[in-house]
Amino acid sequence: MNAMGFAWRSLVRQPARASLGVLGVAAVGALLFDMLLLSQGLVISMRSLLERTGFDLRVTASDALPGQGPLIANAVDRAQAISRLPSVRSAIALRFADAVVLAGGPRGVSTTFQGVAGTAPVYPWTILRGRDITPGRPEIVINENTAMRTQLAPGSRVMLRASCTDQQQALPPVPFTVSGIAQFPFDSPVGTTVATSLSMLATACGGNESNEADVIMVASQETSGASAAVADVAKLLPDLHVLSNAEAVNRFERGGFTYFRQISTVLTAVTLSFAVLLITVLLTVSINQRLGEIAALRALGFSRWRASADVFCESVLIVGAGGLLSLPAGALLAFALDRILKRIPGIPADVHFFVFQPSAFRIHLLLLSATAVVAALYPIRIVAKLPIAATLRDEVVG
Amino acid sequence: MSGTNGHIVEARNISRVFPMPAGPVTAVADVTLQIAARDHIAIRGPSGCGKSTLLHMLGCVEPPTAGTLLFRGDDVTTLSDRQRSLVRLRQIGFVFQRFFLLPMLTAAENIELPQSEAHVPKAERRQRTQELLEYVGLAARAAHRPSELSGGEMQRVAIARALANKPGLLLADEPTGELDRATGEQIASLLDRVNADGTALVIVTHDPALAERSTRVLSMRDGRIESESACA
Repeated sequence: MNAMGFAWRSLVRQPARASLGVLGVAAVGALLFDMLLLSQGLVISMRSLLERTGFDLRVTASDALPGQGPLIANAVDRAQAISRLPSVRSAIALRFADAVVLAGGPRGVSTTFQGVAGTAPVYPWTILRGRDITPGRPEIVINENTAMRTQLAPGSRVMLRASCTDQQQALPPVPFTVSGIAQFPFDSPVGTTVATSLSMLATACGGNESNEADVIMVASQETSGASAAVADVAKLLPDLHVLSNAEAVNRFERGGFTYFRQISTVLTAVTLSFAVLLITVLLTVSINQRLGEIAALRALGFSRWRASADVFCESVLIVGAGGLLSLPAGALLAFALDRILKRIPGIPADVHFFVFQPSAFRIHLLLLSATAVVAALYPIRIVAKLPIAATLRDEVVG
Repeated sequence: MSGTNGHIVEARNISRVFPMPAGPVTAVADVTLQIAARDHIAIRGPSGCGKSTLLHMLGCVEPPTAGTLLFRGDDVTTLSDRQRSLVRLRQIGFVFQRFFLLPMLTAAENIELPQSEAHVPKAERRQRTQELLEYVGLAARAAHRPSELSGGEMQRVAIARALANKPGLLLADEPTGELDRATGEQIASLLDRVNADGTALVIVTHDPALAERSTRVLSMRDGRIESESACA
């Protein structure tokens, strides 16, 4: 019987203890797995979301996030100038405002209001039903939440009152036709969004500032790449800030997302410590109950190495079985936690806090393997240093 | 076997001193002893006189702190822990007062375990285990776990386990200590048979009846062999 078989029989001999160990490791392992998913989840999710918009550069008037800084003057002209760069495929100017859609109740429904202009073949949203807006015509696309709350559908006519500056305004409502239902990548699960052409947004905003935007979104040529496009745009418009998706993600990583990584690191260390302590205690208790047997086996000729290998294999079996269980448990836990965290206001529906990556699985495996080794060290030390004669004597006297 | 004159074990003035916080304690002092093949030796003496310590030294479990101990000509004090383990595995059998059978293994598996550790091929292992079970009269109990056996049966399995790798020397520490008189008698008879079949036997015992079955009885006191007597 080899060490692994012997360890298996030792575990089966004490099913309650073994189950306790396996379940403990499964719980800790699930938490560990989730921490690994969390450490990079938001960054990966955000990167994926940015890439899915079809634009890989963002041009703004300041270092602030789009919609939170000053507007870009002559945005439409500048978007056109950018789109003529050889490294650029297309560019659109995008402006954010607020609006109340006067439907679905006496007070209407408050929404985010986007206006877009430029050379892109597609807009930064996906049409789900109906059709896209026609530039220059009073048409809007609305997201599912808005459609549901206002009971509007493609073809519906609706009045929309815009709010375009920080100051209190009393702009007159403007009539629009709903051309389609669209999905906006950065919408939160309960977010309400409508979008139209930049010129129609300017009309709704009182007819001024028709050439201003919060951000110019740029799609680079695949042959040139984002870096070349960033350099070209920065050279063309040195007064503006240009950020590639990768740079934006890096900024997120250095900024608020750092907390998730730090929390994840701390919790990973804590959970691993728990796992090590749990297995060490269980194995130590088990060995202390079997000192006589171990001493007898040593007296019968089992080497110190073999006796240690038996203990190590027990640790591997407990951690291995617990580790296997921890994966589905971790996946379920991540799903539940993700749903809870996504209730934070303003979080885009397509952003996930827990994202699976093969590297997370590899690190999980590595950390649990290390746990099995570290947890076995102390019990192995007990077995390796066990004084055979004294133990046999004590067992008889005891 | 150089220098042993055919003895399995030759101990020359061996001592065992344990360092203690209150000062060193001499458990065995200046013992000289030879064990030849087919010897049947009993070691007697009051509790704490060093019987078990001497047995453990003879069985290469712990080396003497002074003197020379040769096992089949090899100086035990120069052997590494691993080498001493190998000597025990292949050449010495141990029987303990409390049996120390592994409760999660069947009787057959307990007997097979030392053979497995000695890398005996599986088929050979199975055959040897079956032979040993028949030898100790427990062929019908092969698949039983220790918890399903009586004390006497457990000790018989322990003897079979000790004989698994065909050792030349069998050491038994109070083998009847946990058994009633009738069962102890059965175990004693079994040990006699083991000895008669060619295995040298050293028994540590408090039981005069068991000691009297030996051909040599060593009486110990305060770590020393006080007297040696030959029995019929």
